[in-house]
Amino acid sequence: MTGYLLRRILYLGPVLFAVALITFLLMHAVSGGPWDHNKPFDPVTVANLNHKYGLDQPLWRQFVTFIGNALHGDLGVSYTNQSRPVSDLLRSGFLTTATLGLLSFVVAMCLGLTLGIVASLRRNSLLDRASSIIAASAASMPTFVLGVFLIVLFSVRLHWLPTGGWGSPEQAIMPVIALAALPMAYIARITRASMLEVLSEEYILTARSKGLREPVVLLRHAMRNALIPILTVAGPIAVSLVTGSFIVESFFSIPGTGRLFVQGVFARDYGVIMGATLFYALLVAVANLAVDLLYAVVDPRIRYG
Amino acid sequence: MPSKSKLWLLLIGMTAVLAAVFTSACGDNEKAKPSGEGLAPVQELRLNLGEEPVTIDPNLAFDGVSIGVVRQLYSGLLAFDEDLNLVPALASEVPSQSNGGISADGLTYTFKLREDAKWSDGQPITAADVEYSAKRLLDPETASSYAPVYFDIKGAAEYAMAMGDPENPTPVDEATLAGLRDAVGVEAVDEHTLRVTLVQPRYTVVYLAAIWPIYPLRQDIVEGLGDAWTEPGKHVSSGPFVLSEWVHNDHMTLTPNPYWYGEQPKIQKLVLKMIGDPNAAYAAYLNDELDVVAVPPSNIKSAEGDSNLSQQLVRSVDMGTLAYEFNVQAPPFDDPKVRQAFAMAIDREALVDKVLFGVGEVAYSLIPPGTAGYDPSVGQELAYDPQKARELLTEAGYGDGNLPDVTIQFADVGGNRLSAEFAQGQFEENLGVNVKLEPLEPRAFAATIMQGQFMIVPIGWGADYPDPDSWLPQNFGTEGGNNLAGYSNAEFDALVQQAVAEPDPEKRLALWSQAQQLLVDDAAAIFVSYRERVRLVKPYVKNLILTGMDAGLDGELFLTETYIVEH
Repeated sequence: MTGYLLRRILYLGPVLFAVALITFLLMHAVSGGPWDHNKPFDPVTVANLNHKYGLDQPLWRQFVTFIGNALHGDLGVSYTNQSRPVSDLLRSGFLTTATLGLLSFVVAMCLGLTLGIVASLRRNSLLDRASSIIAASAASMPTFVLGVFLIVLFSVRLHWLPTGGWGSPEQAIMPVIALAALPMAYIARITRASMLEVLSEEYILTARSKGLREPVVLLRHAMRNALIPILTVAGPIAVSLVTGSFIVESFFSIPGTGRLFVQGVFARDYGVIMGATLFYALLVAVANLAVDLLYAVVDPRIRYG
Repeated sequence: MPSKSKLWLLLIGMTAVLAAVFTSACGDNEKAKPSGEGLAPVQELRLNLGEEPVTIDPNLAFDGVSIGVVRQLYSGLLAFDEDLNLVPALASEVPSQSNGGISADGLTYTFKLREDAKWSDGQPITAADVEYSAKRLLDPETASSYAPVYFDIKGAAEYAMAMGDPENPTPVDEATLAGLRDAVGVEAVDEHTLRVTLVQPRYTVVYLAAIWPIYPLRQDIVEGLGDAWTEPGKHVSSGPFVLSEWVHNDHMTLTPNPYWYGEQPKIQKLVLKMIGDPNAAYAAYLNDELDVVAVPPSNIKSAEGDSNLSQQLVRSVDMGTLAYEFNVQAPPFDDPKVRQAFAMAIDREALVDKVLFGVGEVAYSLIPPGTAGYDPSVGQELAYDPQKARELLTEAGYGDGNLPDVTIQFADVGGNRLSAEFAQGQFEENLGVNVKLEPLEPRAFAATIMQGQFMIVPIGWGADYPDPDSWLPQNFGTEGGNNLAGYSNAEFDALVQQAVAEPDPEKRLALWSQAQQLLVDDAAAIFVSYRERVRLVKPYVKNLILTGMDAGLDGELFLTETYIVEH
């Protein structure tokens, strides 16, 4: 097990390097650069800017410089947020995005699991049908539309909640709902299917005929086994929630890394693009590792050698 | 597990509540509140900046958001009054030939600074601060995009271009740079006198003393504090406000600067929020989180129809012109007759009505209202006339539908797509030409037009100051920095040369008029509309003075005048 762990951690190095290289090449291959504006900069300005930011160096040297600095924790400067270095931008942004993502994940999991379990227990009942409808609506509504709906209802009409920003519990309610809707629906469906399959297994029949109380049967025996497919999707869902909340962040003016990254791409802010991509790659790799380890905890049949 | 019937009841109950909430709250968006005329106890104004400023360094600010904030935190030698005339600010008078501020040969400008002006830390604002800022602006290591605007100053171009040919730059050493810096014609003769020397006479250069790139800077602060000098607590202000708080990507809070030389602002707390989505910002206004907001075009009709909101609507002139720009270097748009034909094929009234949702004024020439040189009578000969347009095409040899396919490229953001589709419809219908649309991502679009690889594009023009000098030479002069179409007319260039060297403002305006007429005769571009802004302003906000110079904030030049009444 420790051998496996060590190997997975060592793999991080080459993976991150490959991500950095591919991102770097793509970034420079795309048409349009950071100084291209509709009202163009004078060639003198462009020459001075390229010199100031080291963009007049040959590409390979720019890449090597970046890697060298990154190993020391210096991810460079941002062209669009000139008052703070990229590492600062990522750090403060990440705290926000991670909180938003985790809250949404918890809500999605709790609601999704509940809906899914209830539906599986009362299969084909009105409750089951109703919760499928709720799940399907949540899944089909684009996040942006849901966001607009929430703001119009809770801010403009009812004046209950602020329209955006981040920092207070009231500001978190709508973004979390908007972000959790789709994953919740997805988890509900997977949970229902997985529970149904597990509940039809023979060992459940055995447990019941042994005289165990229903809650024990459900939680000790059914859930534990039903969890595996749920975990399979929970990992990527958690990662995507933490990394990909761009639409919600933009609409609710939340200062997170999702918004920062996409804006950086549009503005060709090379520092932000490289820094954010590497950061996400690290995050995703670590998250995948965590999920894989969790499998071993949940399912005693799985052993890593 | 609750019984089925109880769950049903819950479901019905929830639906009923939702319905009730929607219908009951579906009344007026705003409850009309009586507003007394007494000053409110809390003088707080909340505006939407829209996004985090790129920088608050005046030498580097080039985007509207940064400029809007910079204008609150710094003062310039000169400023503008409500009619956008130049007035003294840090300088005690606007230099002219009669007061000796401008030398007889038009090459030397002398600014006398007021002696009572102080920074927000109590230090006096001196001519040396202006000299430092001007030279830092031109420093190639600063790499400011506004340096070329100041190349009329002696030694400026040499300093900024120290690295030589922009295509093949070679780095220079500190000693050479220092020498070039000393040779720049901006000199603090004494604590309160600044002398600026030009390469050649250019009387519109006074405007350059009023705009932000050379707002004075404190050398000890900028160089002593490193990158942190723009953070609250470290930043020192020369303007009416100081930076009290900056929660990055969320909001900025500005409070009055007790050392400002002018009359103290009435607003005690200026909150600049950063709500990026225009619809979310509109919702914020309706939820009483903002005091002024830009109305998204699709919401204008509903705002006009609402009894309360319609009273809060304010329209103002923006200093901007929308147009379709031709690439005059390639057929078929290298032929003026073809350009004129296309110009006459656009129904501008319909464009303002359908594409711009009624926001804007029909335009036939470049310079917009609110700027000297605006002349609504110019360009009427290119008004909508499809028949005449077709005749012109035949005259140019393109009758019988043998006009090559036309491609309209555009940056696929905002209203550009609508604008491009409109033009496509008009050209196809009125001229019988085949038009293709090519949407591009914004930066890719900018790169494409910079390389001159376009046929016709929807574009918007603005200016740095309200004078034809900021409109004509750079956009249509042969060497013009913004002249992407490659338009070149020797007569136009000659008129521009004459105009900038003309000391008498009346005569200068006459020359600019002639130049503008040339552009229309030549159909250099299809001018279609002058930009307008539509805002909602809370009834308790008084004296918000909107001008065409507002770059990032509403009323940004005169926020010292604005105040809040009881509500």
